[in-house]
Amino acid sequence: MTNRRGFIAGLAAAASLAPVPAWASVGAPSFLAAALFPDGSYRLSGLDQAGVILFSIPLPARGHAAAAHPFKAQAVAFARRPGTFAIVIDCQSGTIIRPLEAPKGRHFYGHGTFSADGTRFFTTENDYEAAEGVIGVWDAVSFKRLGEFSSGGTGPHDMQLLPDGNTLVIANGGIETHPDTGRTKLNLPTMQPNLSYIDLSGSIRAQVELPPALRKNSIRHLAVRGDGLVGFAMQWQGGLTEYPPLLGLHALGKDPLLLSAPEADQSTLQGYAGSIAFSADGQSIAITCPRGDALHRFDVSSGAFAEAFALKDVCGLGSGSKGLVFTTGTGAFGALDPAGAEISARSDCQWDNHLIPIRSFG
Amino acid sequence: MRILAYLTAILVPLVAYAQDRAPILMDVTETHILPRFAQLANATETLATTAQTDCDPASDDLRAAYGRAFDSWILASHLRFGPTETNDRAFAMAFWPDTKGFTPKALSRHIESEDAAVDTPEAYAETSIAGRGFMALERMLYDQAFAEQGRAAYRCALIRAIATDIDQNAKAMNTDWQTYAPNLTQPGGDSPYRTGDEAMQELFRALTTGLEFTADTRLGRPMGTFERPRPNRAEARRSARSLRHVELSLIALRDLAARLSFDHPEIAADLDAAFAQAIDRAQSLDDPAFAGVGTAQGRIRVEALQQSVNDIRQIASAELGPTLGISAGFNSLDGD
Repeated sequence: MTNRRGFIAGLAAAASLAPVPAWASVGAPSFLAAALFPDGSYRLSGLDQAGVILFSIPLPARGHAAAAHPFKAQAVAFARRPGTFAIVIDCQSGTIIRPLEAPKGRHFYGHGTFSADGTRFFTTENDYEAAEGVIGVWDAVSFKRLGEFSSGGTGPHDMQLLPDGNTLVIANGGIETHPDTGRTKLNLPTMQPNLSYIDLSGSIRAQVELPPALRKNSIRHLAVRGDGLVGFAMQWQGGLTEYPPLLGLHALGKDPLLLSAPEADQSTLQGYAGSIAFSADGQSIAITCPRGDALHRFDVSSGAFAEAFALKDVCGLGSGSKGLVFTTGTGAFGALDPAGAEISARSDCQWDNHLIPIRSFG
Repeated sequence: MRILAYLTAILVPLVAYAQDRAPILMDVTETHILPRFAQLANATETLATTAQTDCDPASDDLRAAYGRAFDSWILASHLRFGPTETNDRAFAMAFWPDTKGFTPKALSRHIESEDAAVDTPEAYAETSIAGRGFMALERMLYDQAFAEQGRAAYRCALIRAIATDIDQNAKAMNTDWQTYAPNLTQPGGDSPYRTGDEAMQELFRALTTGLEFTADTRLGRPMGTFERPRPNRAEARRSARSLRHVELSLIALRDLAARLSFDHPEIAADLDAAFAQAIDRAQSLDDPAFAGVGTAQGRIRVEALQQSVNDIRQIASAELGPTLGISAGFNSLDGD
């Protein structure tokens, strides 16, 4: 596969014939993130490695996550659920290539992913009258709808492509919602989340459920390591006097492994993890816990809790060139290094749930 | 408690006072929470004993006892944490919304198989949660589809079993709330609330999620969309209690809001005026099961009621929350 940075650098050079946008001299973005700005506007921003805003595009409403094209300088940014819009963005110019609208009777959940060859785009969606999760399939050039298949559960949220290039891993959070009732959770007493592995034609390869006592642990966000190991972050819908694990690891064909901090730390998280990421070297995995103002890092090979960082309203998390990077609802962008969490940029905005690295698969 | 709060206000400087949650925590626990669960347990006992005496679905006594017990639950159901949440008790009291029709399915299964679980409360408590609670009992008392299904003797046993189960559930909550209460009034130590701030957050969240449920679910579900209103999705529409639940929930939440905002009279006044407006709209609506959402005029009035509940939410989140010092970050407040 074409080296992504080289490719973008090449495009930047070739773009000299076109009008040069103001940020182009700074270089292509390393991350995308949505935010609320002080003027009340929701915008999607491209950030450099240190978290400095290179461009920002107004969004019609609050954003959520985005998906980067495997080799074109393109990304699709989503409205937060139950949004029905997404936008395809040119990451070179920071301009909108085209909007993407959910078909009638469907809304987006805020996450999606491209196929490895960049020809197709997949979106997690809600068939809300049937309360069934659906994966929308789109042509990634024309962005025409090609079809859809079952997500294997209710309330699919995050979805990632495995390194085999042919399997989607889907976090079916298990929670039923309907646009008529906003974000109200309609089925908590019967919810049943799962992790589904589905090939690109829609056949289910494997499904993983947690033990019955953890039925209310909504599997929401995913991270995939180069060898196919899947990390999943959860949001507990049960009582807050229980402190279940909020992070799991799963390799196809094996039992999931649930990771938890010691109770003194775990009990501060209010049962909520917002984002998950492996470090660039794949040795660490971390979750952000905005309700506990904490970031928890674990050692992947031993499954041991490594450390907790206290970070106000931290939520966005991704892997940067040196290590894990994060954003907060207070406008901070920072990186974890052995000395601690270091803030490298403070923007006058509130970074939203996710930070999306723009780079090809590890 | 009110007097104690005044004294505290006079004696300590403002900054320190802002941190002192004790008077409000004590007030809410003793005057708002515990009496509601005691009242609930009383009303459900009457329901259970009435069902033993008279299990005719059309019985005025039984329906009246049902109505009073359900009222008591709606007046307490926003306190959905701690003992209310243990073992899915709140859902076992009222399984709603039932988007996939699990309640009629569960009841039909019991009736068709003459499930012996109705013979003991312990066994019934282990059956499908959708077949328990007030929504299941509503089907048995008010839904014609169940009036003639199976044998009358079994239906009678089923009505008694559901009523007894509701009562046992309410009693368990009432008992457990009495032992749980010190967690709220004395945070720290073994309490799940490390500080008074965390205990306040729990109560504030009960207020905001209670308002959200009434606006988005109790009102939003039957409203559906303009093109496709959904009157058949109204809560407890078979017993024509849908609007009543909106009104009762607002009355309960108004009391909680007044206690939480006690130290901030201006916000308390704003909240109270907004509640008064919403309750007034509810009381003048005259559409008990929201059947009117199907007509343009009926819909506009329900929409106005929903808007007035959203106005309260706005004051709670923009004025009360920040004043109580409840940290509500962009992500922590409203993640995904």
